[in-house]
Amino acid sequence: MSDLRAPSTPPPKPSRPARLELLVRPKDDDESFEVREIGSATAFVQSRPQRIAPDAFELAEGGSRVAGQHHFILKNKTTDRFLMLTEREKFLWEQMDGRTSLQQIATAYVLRYGEFDFEIIPNLIRKLQRAQLLTLTPSSRLRQALARNRRKPMVKAIESGFTVLERINISSRNVHRVFAVLYRFGGFLLFTPAAVVALAVLALVGVGVGVKLWQEGGDIVAGFGGHAVRGILMVKLLFFLTVAAHQIVHGLALVHYGRRVREFGFTFLHGFVPTFYVDVTDIFMASRRARVVTAVAGASVHLVLGCVWFIVAYFSPLGSFTQAFAAASGMIQWQAFVIALYPFCFIEMDGYHVLVDVLGVPTLKQEAMAWAGGLVRGRVSGRFGRQEQLFALYVTLSALSVAAFIAFNVMLISHARS
Amino acid sequence: MSTPTETLAFLREVRLFKDIAEPELMILGQSLDARPLRRGQVICREGDPGEEMFVVRTGSCVISKLVTGRVEQVLARIGPGDFFGEMSLFDRSPRSATVQADSDATLLALDREGLRRMTEVSPRAAAAFFHALVLIFIERLRASGDLVAEVTRWGLEATGLDLDARA
Repeated sequence: MSDLRAPSTPPPKPSRPARLELLVRPKDDDESFEVREIGSATAFVQSRPQRIAPDAFELAEGGSRVAGQHHFILKNKTTDRFLMLTEREKFLWEQMDGRTSLQQIATAYVLRYGEFDFEIIPNLIRKLQRAQLLTLTPSSRLRQALARNRRKPMVKAIESGFTVLERINISSRNVHRVFAVLYRFGGFLLFTPAAVVALAVLALVGVGVGVKLWQEGGDIVAGFGGHAVRGILMVKLLFFLTVAAHQIVHGLALVHYGRRVREFGFTFLHGFVPTFYVDVTDIFMASRRARVVTAVAGASVHLVLGCVWFIVAYFSPLGSFTQAFAAASGMIQWQAFVIALYPFCFIEMDGYHVLVDVLGVPTLKQEAMAWAGGLVRGRVSGRFGRQEQLFALYVTLSALSVAAFIAFNVMLISHARS
Repeated sequence: MSTPTETLAFLREVRLFKDIAEPELMILGQSLDARPLRRGQVICREGDPGEEMFVVRTGSCVISKLVTGRVEQVLARIGPGDFFGEMSLFDRSPRSATVQADSDATLLALDREGLRRMTEVSPRAAAAFFHALVLIFIERLRASGDLVAEVTRWGLEATGLDLDARA
């Protein structure tokens, strides 16, 4: 006899987040497949909540009886449901554009308000869903675009390649102790006034030597002989390894400010950019100064290495391979330093995070790109206030900077080849 | 290729056949057709017609159901002694899921004719077989309920959906 009675006590509440086991086929009609486990927590932080269409809601500022405390009324015009939002909730609501993930929204919130309430986002999402003011779109825009064009063999091949590369992630979440030991046994020296002075002196020497080398540029690159492109590729490979040092110094800065290094690892960013990374999100709980120092400290690695390579090049025999290799390495390190700290290049690097922190506009790039896109499609109002000026400045400077960067590298390579 | 003795030893360990006496099990063994599979080989696709059920002799298989595009939900992973494909064998409906070898594997196939023969030759063996089948069905039904609950919980957690919402 089978036992079909209901259990007398309710089943225990599951303690772990739910997981879905999905079988994914890389190609149609292929026997190969891969089984992936996806946790609900991962899906939640990567989901991109999207508010309903602009013409479906109204937002108005409510009168306040207490000076300095603003609140807002959000109305769903379809259902006639109202929701009261605090100023912080309104900020979060404005980020929910379907492009920004919850993880990015949380980061923006911390940058804006300097603190984080771990319940505010889930609570707001619940409120918005209750008022039918939200839809959820879980997946990246890049992958959506690729999926839309999957019928084209080239796009399909790219998508398959990204899928394979994206899965490569070697990381550890148990690294804080390692960073703490590194800090205790010498890492702390990087955050002393003496280190700042040494960096300044080294930078001055590096600039002086760099200028001298630039004047002898033709003779130096001749050191590569007939293998300029191969030489530059080797330089790039060596440079890639120094990215790990960049990330390690970020981690040491976290330890310096008493925050926790949550993860360190290697992955392919967006599926095609090999990179080391360190999770520095805990620094958002520290002061603005700590955030700026953490950002700048990592990039400074490239400044130091660039200077060292230039000095090596300076003292190497003129026209030798060593000199060419050292000079090219110095150049690429300095480029990395500038790119890391230069905020106007459409990439959210260290400098960009410092800029948005200072401006108090955590989603500057996303908003500026949306504004520029609207401008191109003729969907932008005639208003050109301070915010629009900032967007225009960001997009213009970034476009010009990227063009200049490409031109500079083309010039370098063609100079080397000739 | 395994000998009848080896096949018999294996069948004795299979839960589905555990209450069938040895002489009848030996006869059943003769009705089973061995099917070697290489890793990745699809045994049946969702929607295909089905005339046989299979017992996994060696290796493992993944049972999955299409969700969207290239993505399927894994319903179960099965190994030696487990079986699948019985639903289409009994109700003649198309296969309800796709089954694919997760490693090199060997299956033993029992077709409708083999089942009919067992029922005719030994009603006692058939009764034992169906009783075991029902017990396993009950287990699977419970597991399906658990899976539905897990998937629902996943959806709720992944979207932050509010259960108290009164839309």
